[in-house]
Amino acid sequence: MIGFIKKDLAMIKSNFKLLGFLVIIYIVMILLGYMDISFILPFMSVMIIISTFSYDNYNKWDAYSISLPNGRKNNVKSKYITTILMLLLVSIIIVILSFIISYINTQTINYEQTLISTLGTIFGTLLVLTFMYPIIYKFGVEKARILIFIIVFGLAIIIGLISKYIDLSNILKSLSFLENYLVIILIITSIIMVYISYKISEKIFMNKEF
Amino acid sequence: MDNILEIKNLCKKYDNFELKNISFKLPKGMIMGLIGENGAGKTTTIKAILNIITSYSGDIKIFGLSNKNETIKEDIGIVLDDMFFPEIITPKDINNSMKNIYKNWDSKIFNDYLKKFSLPNKQIKTFSKGMRKKLEIATSLSHHPKLLILDEPTSGLDPIARDEVTNILQKFIENENCSILLSSHNTTDLEHIADYITFINNGEVILSKTTNELLDKYGIVKCTEKEFKDINTKDYIKYKKTKYGYEILVENKKDFKEKYNIKIIDKVTLDELMILMIKGVK
Amino acid sequence: MEIIISNSSDVPIYEQIKEQIKVKIISNELKENELLPSIRTLAKDLRCSVITTKNAYEELVKEGYVKNVPSKGFYVAKINVDLALEEQLNKIENFLDKAVHIAIINNVSKKILKNMIDILYEEEK
Repeated sequence: MIGFIKKDLAMIKSNFKLLGFLVIIYIVMILLGYMDISFILPFMSVMIIISTFSYDNYNKWDAYSISLPNGRKNNVKSKYITTILMLLLVSIIIVILSFIISYINTQTINYEQTLISTLGTIFGTLLVLTFMYPIIYKFGVEKARILIFIIVFGLAIIIGLISKYIDLSNILKSLSFLENYLVIILIITSIIMVYISYKISEKIFMNKEF
Repeated sequence: MDNILEIKNLCKKYDNFELKNISFKLPKGMIMGLIGENGAGKTTTIKAILNIITSYSGDIKIFGLSNKNETIKEDIGIVLDDMFFPEIITPKDINNSMKNIYKNWDSKIFNDYLKKFSLPNKQIKTFSKGMRKKLEIATSLSHHPKLLILDEPTSGLDPIARDEVTNILQKFIENENCSILLSSHNTTDLEHIADYITFINNGEVILSKTTNELLDKYGIVKCTEKEFKDINTKDYIKYKKTKYGYEILVENKKDFKEKYNIKIIDKVTLDELMILMIKGVK
Repeated sequence: MEIIISNSSDVPIYEQIKEQIKVKIISNELKENELLPSIRTLAKDLRCSVITTKNAYEELVKEGYVKNVPSKGFYVAKINVDLALEEQLNKIENFLDKAVHIAIINNVSKKILKNMIDILYEEEK
């Protein structure tokens, strides 16, 4: 499995220059007061990880990997682990950058707030990815992209309609007691989500033919 | 375990194509060439052997074990047509990954091949088709495999590189415990180095014999229409009418010579054999 | 050791190998107990299949020119030179038989035939 992770990391590494370049741009933009850094970096990491799937598809790595020892299992496992590693890396970058920026801007930093907002974005990213992976394993990147677009679009419309007819603020208020446990809830939900997603992807890939 | 690879009654159905009862055996220490038209079922057979397709019926044994057994993959080296590592990584990345994928991966062998093939440490996407093939071959040989399964390993290679590769393959089976299964359209290479030829046509094995039997016994009779009419249909496999006469594939040119008074009986080449078997009539 | 193989010849490759090794043994170019190259090395060097060289060696063993020492390899056997020569004489007789046959059919005289042999013999020498 480590070999498979190394291969995925090598693919990501070829995008590192781009990532570094973006980090610098964002620092500059934030210093100029344009945008919040916590949103764009996870977004970029998703793009980079999804692009590894594209290259895998393009060079038929999935079929090739099956003929390697424990190929089917390791192919899926390594993607999930690489994703987690990547998100951890991005979280660390975000935290460090927030500290640097607040230092430069000489603001007093709210540590707790920074961590929670970082965790929140990472959680959101994870949600998208865990949702995407089984679809990618089932249909391939190209089809999955379209499917995901349709699903996200559909969800947005549904939520929009619901919020139009039902007042969500009461529900949110009634859930506000959960706020104190937010971090724990996010972590536990993430673990469960990743696990379920992984099991589904594994099941799909174990029976996949090329 | 005398056979390194044994396939029995392999069947697989697609909407527009079917593998029908593919069976053959590859003995230890031997090279088998898989020949046939594009789309005849060679790659599908190889995919079944490697479990890239799973929903087939029949029995496939490698080293005497079921091919579902993951441990056997440690001892198999593969070149698959068009399937490989993603092109944005480098040979060095492949070496680093493979170190942890195969227990017996040997970086020294791999690096020696890179040098031998003069492959630079650049992203694979900068490589020519021939260079990619060479990298794939190097990758397939660097973990001391006992069985090589090579789908079109020499396609896109120039004659000199092909000679280099056939030489490497022959060196590989100098160890009598090792075997090679390779599909190829470069049939002259196979005529030289393959011990067995398995000919797949339309999803079926229509022939699986030693190369010597094919090249030494089979013959192509060339004759006129008048001569052709005197030949018993039992005495030939297939024939083809050409503009100026008849070409007839016979199973044993010596027997044929004794029976009929026809002067021209040529040795067959694998290409001619394929053409007559596929395009010929009976 | 030199072995020259023709791929276009009608003679099977294993037979070409066999005959050439045989001649080398009879002419004492390959001496008794000399180790021959292994089946697989010979196949690699001649760029032919393993079965081909295997066939050649097996026939040589059968005909008594080579002995197979298990797990060691193939060695030149002690041959009975007279017997080997007799085999070659048989071969010559076979060819001459055919020549005579053609001569008689075409009314070629014995004298001309003998003359032909003399000339050919001198040329080869």
